[in-house]
Amino acid sequence: MTETSIPARAAPAIRTHDLARHFGAVPAVDGIDLQIDRGEIVALLGPNGAGKTTLLDLVLGFTAPSAGTVSVLGRQPRRAVAAGAVGAVLQTDGLLHDLTVRETVAMIAACQRHHLPVAEVLERAGISAIAGRKVNKCSGGEQQRLRFALALLTEPDLMLLDEPTAGMDVRARTEFWAAMHAEAERGRTIVFATHYLQEAADFADRIVLLGAGRVLVDGTVAEVTARGRRTLSCDWLAAEAPARFADRTGLADPPQIEDGRVRFTTQRTDALARTILTEELGRNLEVTAASLDEVFLDLTSEPTGPRTTEPAGV
Amino acid sequence: MTSTADLSSTSDLTGTATARHRPGGTAGIIARYAGWDLRRNIRMFESTFFIIMLPAALYLVFGAMSGFGDLPVGHGNVAAYSMVSIALYGAVTAMTAIAGSAAIERQRGWGRQLGLTNLSGAGYLTGKTLVGLGMAVLPIVVVFVVGAVTGARFDQPWRWGLSGALILLGALPFALYGLAAALLFRSEAAISAASGLMVVLAFFGNLFVPLSGVLLDIARFTPLYGSAALARWPMLGGEVIDVGAGAQHDPLWWVLANVVTWTVIFGLLCAGGARRRTGRA
Repeated sequence: MTETSIPARAAPAIRTHDLARHFGAVPAVDGIDLQIDRGEIVALLGPNGAGKTTLLDLVLGFTAPSAGTVSVLGRQPRRAVAAGAVGAVLQTDGLLHDLTVRETVAMIAACQRHHLPVAEVLERAGISAIAGRKVNKCSGGEQQRLRFALALLTEPDLMLLDEPTAGMDVRARTEFWAAMHAEAERGRTIVFATHYLQEAADFADRIVLLGAGRVLVDGTVAEVTARGRRTLSCDWLAAEAPARFADRTGLADPPQIEDGRVRFTTQRTDALARTILTEELGRNLEVTAASLDEVFLDLTSEPTGPRTTEPAGV
Repeated sequence: MTSTADLSSTSDLTGTATARHRPGGTAGIIARYAGWDLRRNIRMFESTFFIIMLPAALYLVFGAMSGFGDLPVGHGNVAAYSMVSIALYGAVTAMTAIAGSAAIERQRGWGRQLGLTNLSGAGYLTGKTLVGLGMAVLPIVVVFVVGAVTGARFDQPWRWGLSGALILLGALPFALYGLAAALLFRSEAAISAASGLMVVLAFFGNLFVPLSGVLLDIARFTPLYGSAALARWPMLGGEVIDVGAGAQHDPLWWVLANVVTWTVIFGLLCAGGARRRTGRA
């Protein structure tokens, strides 16, 4: 096959340029520039409606861009899929409930030009033990692993997962990610959309945070959390009220007072600490970085356009 | 679950297979998919009951156990007349059910799953048509076999074969009928309703009891009437069994016009239903 020749091999797993997809007047994906290299494990984070599923649909060629371009492993999305280079675990039901687990894998295998032996795929997805079970007797987690097995059939270079652990209990989730780790070690590129920030932090090398169809933040977990604001707390010693001090030093948010400790939230905690210590305003300082959750909430709740805050009534 | 009920145990696709390359191009993939799907449908009790057992039972009640079974009609006898009618009823029920369930299946995400394989949309449609034909053949064969052993008779053996083939042909438009129901109403209830309505269409199609008078005049315009007259052509050549008014005759052009017109109508309904599909479904 010439399709996997040298230039294709060198191409990134996913490259989009100014990619957009509108549904009527609604922009689901609104100008995304993204490059994901081979071997990367990337989490797509974002609230509902951020454009995660639409972005994955574009990468799979299920939907055509309204504007911009997308290439997958150096090819058009549909070609990459047809060549078996892309596997996906989709959010939609997508299973026939009257089949057994093994039959489902065999039936999808029958539709592929090249594929791994069915038994091997069942083994890798960890569902050999339930191979004879009917799909409608499988738990949500088991069905999800079956979808994972279907995605593994063609030994894809790129694996896309749309909220793969939704509806799984803790144990099922742990087992699922263990299986994914094994696949990642085989050198696959893995891109997964998720709501669970901890999952993104634990498993991904890189986080792409989407909001309103755009990329809000793109970086490692450390880089993403560094963008968030830190919290400085201390025992307050000064006679000056903390709120007045915050005003004087130009802090945007008013400080909170809790159990005798004052908490300031800002990105400039170093400068703040220096002032407090040199002016002897407080002691027992403690600085904590924002959690991924806080960054997530912070960034995704920001208004996308310019908005003036109106003093309501007062 | 026993191993005999496990489809894959009879397949070369599983377990010991080590070869990764599958022979055959697009046609091979369609054939394999259709093969799997046919076995799957045969295994489902609901479909086999309504598609195979029920027509066989109906034939035994209306045809074989009738006192007039051996009376000669055209190039056969009354039992053969009933046999052809009931086999057509079974075949159109099969077509409707398979086409309808295919559309529902696709909407439920199986279409997206297949969209990640080498089976194209056109390939899926072709495969499902083959499955529909395969399922429609079953009631024809079963009812014909039951008929053959319970006194149904044609003057020449070829009339058996031709009748069976014309039943299959006449059942084809009902794939569009089932598809239209699924596309317009998008639920399994709609497919059941469409299959249920088939009883009414079969009555007006002159399949259960020979109609006469005003009912027969109305019947000539209903969708199953054309397919029924076509299926009986090897036996009656357009002659209408009318208990009330004696001999009547349908010209071939009328029979064909009925089939073609309803095929077009069902096709247009499908197109309308397909157009209503929006968004990222």
